[in-house]
Amino acid sequence: MIPALTREDLKIIGYNLSRISYLMGGILLLPIIVAVIYREIDTIPFFLIGASLAFILGSLLNHFLETKKEMELKHAVVMVAVGWLLAPVLASIPIWLSNATASYLHASFESLSGFTGTGLTVATDIDHLSHSINFLRHFLQFVGDGIGIIVVSLSILGKTKISSVLAFKGEAKELGIRPSIVRTSRIIIGIAITFLIVGTILFAAAGIKEGLNPGTAIFDGLNHSMTGYATGGFSTRSQNLLFYHSVWVEVAAIVTMIIGALNFNLHYAILGGKRKEILKNIEVRILFFSLLALGFLVSANLIFSNLYTSPDSLFRKGIFHVISGQTTTGFQTAPPQHFMLLWPAFSMIVISIAMILGGCANSTSGGIKMVRIGILFKSIVREVRQTLLPRSAVVRGTFHNIEDTLITDTMIKGAAVIAMGYIVLFTFGTMITVAHGYSVESSMFETSSALGNVGLSSGITSPSMPFVVEVTYMFLMWAGKLEIIAVLVLMGFIILGLRKGIKK
Amino acid sequence: MALRKFSILAFLKKNFDFITGVLGEIGLTVLIMGAALAICLLLVFVKSVI
Repeated sequence: MIPALTREDLKIIGYNLSRISYLMGGILLLPIIVAVIYREIDTIPFFLIGASLAFILGSLLNHFLETKKEMELKHAVVMVAVGWLLAPVLASIPIWLSNATASYLHASFESLSGFTGTGLTVATDIDHLSHSINFLRHFLQFVGDGIGIIVVSLSILGKTKISSVLAFKGEAKELGIRPSIVRTSRIIIGIAITFLIVGTILFAAAGIKEGLNPGTAIFDGLNHSMTGYATGGFSTRSQNLLFYHSVWVEVAAIVTMIIGALNFNLHYAILGGKRKEILKNIEVRILFFSLLALGFLVSANLIFSNLYTSPDSLFRKGIFHVISGQTTTGFQTAPPQHFMLLWPAFSMIVISIAMILGGCANSTSGGIKMVRIGILFKSIVREVRQTLLPRSAVVRGTFHNIEDTLITDTMIKGAAVIAMGYIVLFTFGTMITVAHGYSVESSMFETSSALGNVGLSSGITSPSMPFVVEVTYMFLMWAGKLEIIAVLVLMGFIILGLRKGIKK
Repeated sequence: MALRKFSILAFLKKNFDFITGVLGEIGLTVLIMGAALAICLLLVFVKSVI
């Protein structure tokens, strides 16, 4: 029988949430630098109010719930699930105060979309947002999804190492880069900053080449590099990357999106000198072949429906959106209405599948993840071989992901449970959207975009979207980020708490 | 003093694995783009033949 949470359990969870609150306070102060540079003095109070509330909340949690007890896995899972709601709530305050969105619900949607690295936006008039608020939107994606701030907050501000290790498990990540969690966090930040610099240079150079002034090119480049690496997809432009009409900007985007979708362990191995790993790794191989296979299907469908007929338009519209979808980034080079009104249903469904498949495990991308697809595929092959061979034969499946690993039944079960969870939520979200009068293919497209933390939009997500659809997508973004299990655990504890009450 | 002692060659030697690693990852993205572009060219060719 599963024990309900006790008051002591809630104290441990609340005390650890205080660190997330403190770090969010610090994060909300950073855009003030941008406000000073661009002389946007009127936005500074919004950040100060948001940061103050975060620090006050952190202090209250710290003061009233202080405990020396160590976190257990159940605390970590609940703490991470609640932390992924608390941090966006705090970050939504400056967005709401600055009137970047039409309501507080929209501000929460924007903040959650940023923090989970989704990229669906309900901001009004992005082209005229202040630089500091725009920076905050992009920075949230970088720290929330690119670095994984929930875990980093514990490893930097936490007293214990075990709490951070457990939080990794809560976030459904199995990072084994280094034994010390603090060192692991530093490596993750180091890798993120390295590729942030590379991406900024690429985007800024492309922007300057297309005639932007250097200041704008660097600002846009920094923001797009943050959201590209974080596979987030927010843009400083309301038309997203379509605004630039530039193949060079799109090439820079593809480079950052694919790098962002690679496994942190793989980055660490490659940057440490194990260059051959890039060719041997199961996730890279599956990502490579699935991108090309799905890209082929979409391009073939687009050319034979006479929507795009030249090689460059097929690449820049068809292939680009497959890469953007499967890496779960959400950069767009076509207006959302084109997806809804012009694109064939087949291409929309293929991109929806790409969005649900997702990138590599332990990366910034969402979706089911490549390693799980590989495990499920190999387990099917194993079953077929087992059936064909004599009963006494023992068939083993292995895969190479940094090291050779034997496929166990536990791995297959874990991969199948998560894949099943995604399919159930995908069906649920699609049905809710269809019930509001949208076409099936647009509903599938938008739902998989929210669930896979992608951000590609067929136009359903907008400031005028129905309330129920907006709340459903917020739930899907949150559940998708936590890979469902943590959400189910939290719900289980809530139901147990309601039935049995909180024990002392 | 520190600037005077700086040598690009020594820097590249010290960070060889790191730099080639970054270039290797960019190379992977270029490989994917090249293969994808080849697919697009092939499709346009097939369409023109049919």
